[in-house]
Order: sequence, then C-alpha cells, then structure tokens
Amino acid sequence: MDHRKQQQQQQRSDPRLKKCPFCLKETKYLDYKDYPTMKPFMDYFGNIMKRYYSGLCLKHQKMLKNAIERARFMGMVSYRK
Amino acid sequence: MTSLVPTSEDTVIYEFCILYPANLSQKEEQTLLKGIEEVFAEAEGKQIAKDAWGRRGLAYPIKKQTEGNFIVLYYEMDPTKMKEVDRQLRILPNLLRHLMVKPPKGYELVKYSEAFEQWQKDKVTAVETKRKDEESKLQRKVVEKAKRDAKRTEVKKAEVKKKEIPSTLEEADLSKKLDELISDDTLGL
Repeated sequence: MDHRKQQQQQQRSDPRLKKCPFCLKETKYLDYKDYPTMKPFMDYFGNIMKRYYSGLCLKHQKMLKNAIERARFMGMVSYRK
Repeated sequence: MTSLVPTSEDTVIYEFCILYPANLSQKEEQTLLKGIEEVFAEAEGKQIAKDAWGRRGLAYPIKKQTEGNFIVLYYEMDPTKMKEVDRQLRILPNLLRHLMVKPPKGYELVKYSEAFEQWQKDKVTAVETKRKDEESKLQRKVVEKAKRDAKRTEVKKAEVKKKEIPSTLEEADLSKKLDELISDDTLGL
C-alpha cells in the first residue's frame, strides 16, 4: 500500500488538468512590445517554447508566436542568440 | 489606460512602430520625424497617442546599427490609405524598420516607455530581495554550524576527560605493582 502511494506521488499531475496561464488571466491579446510576458515562453537561444512545454492553449500559443515574431522583426528580441 | 475606439465606422485605429538609428545627428532626426508626420498628414491620419521609447539596444544589428530609437504611434485613418503609407515609410531614408498593426477591439493603450522602466526597477528589487534572502539563509546556516561545532567540541572534551581518568588510575596501579615486584625478594633481581 505504501509503495503504491509513493508511486502516485512521484507521478506528474494529469496534463489535462494543467491550465493555460493566459486563459486563467483571460488574456485577449498578446502585445509584441510586452517583453516581460513573452520572456518565460522563450529559451536561452530565443526559440519559442513548444506547446508541450509552455502548456498554453492553441489560441494563446498562436498569439504568442505572432507577438514574438513581430518583436523579432523590430529588433526587440533576437532570432537566434 | 484608455481603450481605443474609432470615432466613425469608416476609420480604423492603427498602431505604427517605427525604428530609426540612434546615432543620427539632430538635423537628420528632425527631418526624419517631419517626414513621418508628413506621410501621415498626406493619408489624413489623426494622431491619437505617441509613445517615444528613446534609445534602446537592439537584439541584433540592423544595417550595422546596434542601437536604435523606437516610436510607437497610434493613428486613426482610412484603411484604403494604408498601402500608400506603407510605401512612403519604406521610401523614407534613415528608417530601419516599421511595423503596422491593427490592435484588436477593446485594446487598452499602455505606455511601454514607462512600463519598461517599471519592469527594470522591479527586476532590480527582485534581485535585491533574492540576495537578501540568500544572505539570511547563509547566516542561519553559519549560526547552526557554529552551534553544532560547539556541541561537538563539548562532547569531545567530555570524552577526553572520561578517558584521562582511568589512564591515571592505571598508572598508579602500575607503579604500585612495580614497587611490589622490586620489593619482592623471591625474585633474584
């Protein structure tokens, strides 16, 4: 019984229960000028995180992609570090 | 924070982000800004807001420039004139990049020149708080270690005392026995 309990604790939480952070805030638009909000979804090299890792819903992932690409074009964010 | 709503149905509010190099002379800069204004005047745009970010470092060099000035403009204008504005902005000299975006409905205007400063301040304070936390943690650790060391030394001292007492007794016994042996006449020493 104890062993089973331990196993349950080690397992990750159900990915279906994980909610998109922008959905929780009810974000309707991601601004390309707002670097602090985009930063956590980029890695060291300036790549956009995959949806699997970012945990965003499709709608917000697309918004994020749009915002980051605009920021890259304007030279606020690097394409590749 | 003011939400953008166009005054009439025929016009749309657009957001323009303009990037020009930071090392321009004042004359060049003024002519450039005038040129931009003229372009919008030709398109009969009505300025709603302006947000000059000032000098910023670029993430990658554009036309060998590593620093640039950003301006964010909000204009209300006829959508059919956007193409002409885009063409004119492309032609303008000394202009590195420009971006035209139609903000969504209910977009709230944020002055990012101020927001950025606030963000940097927050970052500094966050770093400071982190450092303070680490320092307090270290201090606690040091105090705990000192306590543990003190305890250990006390225990060691006690052990040493315990050990020393029997050894002296043994010595006394030994000397006694030796005396006995020496005084014993049966052994022919």
